[in-house]
Amino acid sequence: MEVSLEAINKSFGSVRVLKDVSLHFPSRKFVTLLGPSGCGKTTLLRMIAGLETVDSGLIRFGDKVVNQLAPRDRNIAMVFQSYALYPQMSVRQNLAYGLRVRGTPKAARAEAVERVARILEIENLLERRPAQLSGGQRQRVALGRAMVRKPDIFLMDEPLSNLDARLRITMRAELRRFHLDLGATTVYVTHDQLEAMTMSDHVAVMNSGMVQQFGTPAEVYGRPANLFVAGFIGSPPMNLMPGRIEAENGVPVFANEQSRVPLRHLTQRLQVGQHVVLGARPQDLHLASSTDEASAHGRVWVVELVGSEKLVDIDLGGKRRIAVQVRADAHVREDDPVHVRIDPAQVHVFDASTERRVFEAA
Amino acid sequence: MMSWDFLWRHTGRAVIFVTLCGLTFVVCFPLVWALSTSLKPKTEIFATPPTLIPKAPTFENYAALVTGRQQYFQSGGQQVDTGATPAQFFTRWFLNSLVVTLGSTLISIVVSTLAAYSLTRFRYWGRTFVPYFSLLGYMVPSIIFVFPLFLMMVRLELTDTLLSLVLGYVSITLPFCMWLMWAFMRSIPIEIEEAALVDGATRMQVFRDVVLPTALPGIIAAAIFAMIVSWNDYLFGRVFLNSLDNLTLTVGVMLFFEGTHVDWGLLMAACVLMTVPMAFLFMGLQRHLVAGFGAGAVKG
Ligand SMILES: Nc1ncnc2c1ncn2[C@@H]1O[C@H](COP(=O)(O)OP(=O)(O)OP(=O)(O)O)[C@@H](O)[C@H]1O
Ligand SMILES: [Mg+2]
Repeated sequence: MEVSLEAINKSFGSVRVLKDVSLHFPSRKFVTLLGPSGCGKTTLLRMIAGLETVDSGLIRFGDKVVNQLAPRDRNIAMVFQSYALYPQMSVRQNLAYGLRVRGTPKAARAEAVERVARILEIENLLERRPAQLSGGQRQRVALGRAMVRKPDIFLMDEPLSNLDARLRITMRAELRRFHLDLGATTVYVTHDQLEAMTMSDHVAVMNSGMVQQFGTPAEVYGRPANLFVAGFIGSPPMNLMPGRIEAENGVPVFANEQSRVPLRHLTQRLQVGQHVVLGARPQDLHLASSTDEASAHGRVWVVELVGSEKLVDIDLGGKRRIAVQVRADAHVREDDPVHVRIDPAQVHVFDASTERRVFEAA
Repeated sequence: MMSWDFLWRHTGRAVIFVTLCGLTFVVCFPLVWALSTSLKPKTEIFATPPTLIPKAPTFENYAALVTGRQQYFQSGGQQVDTGATPAQFFTRWFLNSLVVTLGSTLISIVVSTLAAYSLTRFRYWGRTFVPYFSLLGYMVPSIIFVFPLFLMMVRLELTDTLLSLVLGYVSITLPFCMWLMWAFMRSIPIEIEEAALVDGATRMQVFRDVVLPTALPGIIAAAIFAMIVSWNDYLFGRVFLNSLDNLTLTVGVMLFFEGTHVDWGLLMAACVLMTVPMAFLFMGLQRHLVAGFGAGAVKG
């Protein structure tokens, strides 16, 4: 079932929480709503579930407008951020409740519960109450409750945020697998970009009630549409350097006090004098041995070892720093003078006033 | 050598323990004495020295109350019949009290639970301050309400009926029950209900399957309050009722004091019988007051 949101607006009192949100979630895909806390992800998800009204705009499942449909008529399942298990029911009753109120016969109910319990490996917990479960177990029950009904659309609101780091990693893979097995359209909410990048087919990056970019994880990472996405996606975060465009032999050059980068591939897209922000991921920068191929020069400020890599913070002077990621066996020490090579093919250029990406000519 | 800290902690405990024992004694002694007196034959009640444990325990007082048997009193060596006595109405009054208490409690609970659900889950004008205003009534003594209510009952031609008493009790217990249920319902995470809605339940199913079981400790607390108020009330019963057949226990038992002769054994037996239902109710329900307090519903 595909889900379309068309120009959705929502205010709580005088606060505009969602501003003209339009999104199209293809059928059977895993789509993630990603954004910082308070940007309206949960609100949007609750609207798809029918738990929140829409001020204006349309929500469609397939061709059908569902704005006025009660949650129970939408054939959705939802995993809540707080799990929201029924405290007075056993795990078995929790799992079966959705089938019970829909009038599924007892035998079929029992069978469905057993099947889901087997998949989630919670068969030995079926007689317990939610209070007697660990966080991870509760989370599984919440998932099971959503899975047991074969929903068209599967909604999840930060289901992993209460788990410890290790469990989170295993659950990521399992959730992705559940999605594939379930064959439903999954809408997943998170503020953790790693979750979004690893699990999703499509990511909608949101900030302050607006969709900043919608695309595959590779697109969002590789061609961020604006400054917000550029800064939000990627870890360690992208280096962002303000500067101006100058011309050199008919080629536009990004320039500020610390660095110069020729931008030949953007010749038609940039004007001389234009204020821009240059973005470069630490992974795409290199330390150069000689001065002539380098675009910037500085002194090593701090070196951090991050597993198989070293993150080198370089002081370029003028209170500007740039992070470069190198292999862990590279010889860099604090206070060494270094040269940084910026590969023009791997930078992102944003207009400073609109904050939008300057796209390469098609 | 024991440290000061150790000593301090242990003397502290001892002081608390002794104080609590003393308090328990002060609270319980009248009850124990009533029980003891009710089990004594008439000849032993005023015996000197007084006996705490009856020498010749008897259930004749209880039997008299329960069977409504004719009474007699001791005059010299003779037993003299007394004619119609309050004891003959005891079972009737007990039943009246039961009916009125259960009736008013039931109404209070049903109405307050529904009202609280509505106040916490739907949006409309007044829903924020109604619960607070409902407590205003408890800041004035209930005697202020008795006469206006009585006049209303006169208009409704309900005086001297049990229904009038039920309505009277509802009017004083309902606001507090509603406030209690409101505070309780507010603490039930709304996500549980939303989960049930998404699961496919109707509003009524959500209420029955999810809200009510979760709110049960609150409902029990409110019910205990309503029962105690109705069962123990004297004022309303005294004002609203007058025919012997319709009295409730509290009002009826006062009649044991009237006339020239007070039968203390009977009176004490009546008091014990009046106390027992509430005591058992408490013992049976207090477990539910704390149990299953929505634990584990939400992360934590
Ligand atoms: N019922 C409500 N009444 C008033 N304001 C609300 C309500 N629900 C949400 N908001 C506001 O709407 C904004 C978006 O909330 P929302 O819960 O959608 O954020 P979120 O992106 O899910 O954040 P988080 O990652 O912290 O869960 C927030 O500023 C929040 O304060
Ligand atoms: Mg949220």
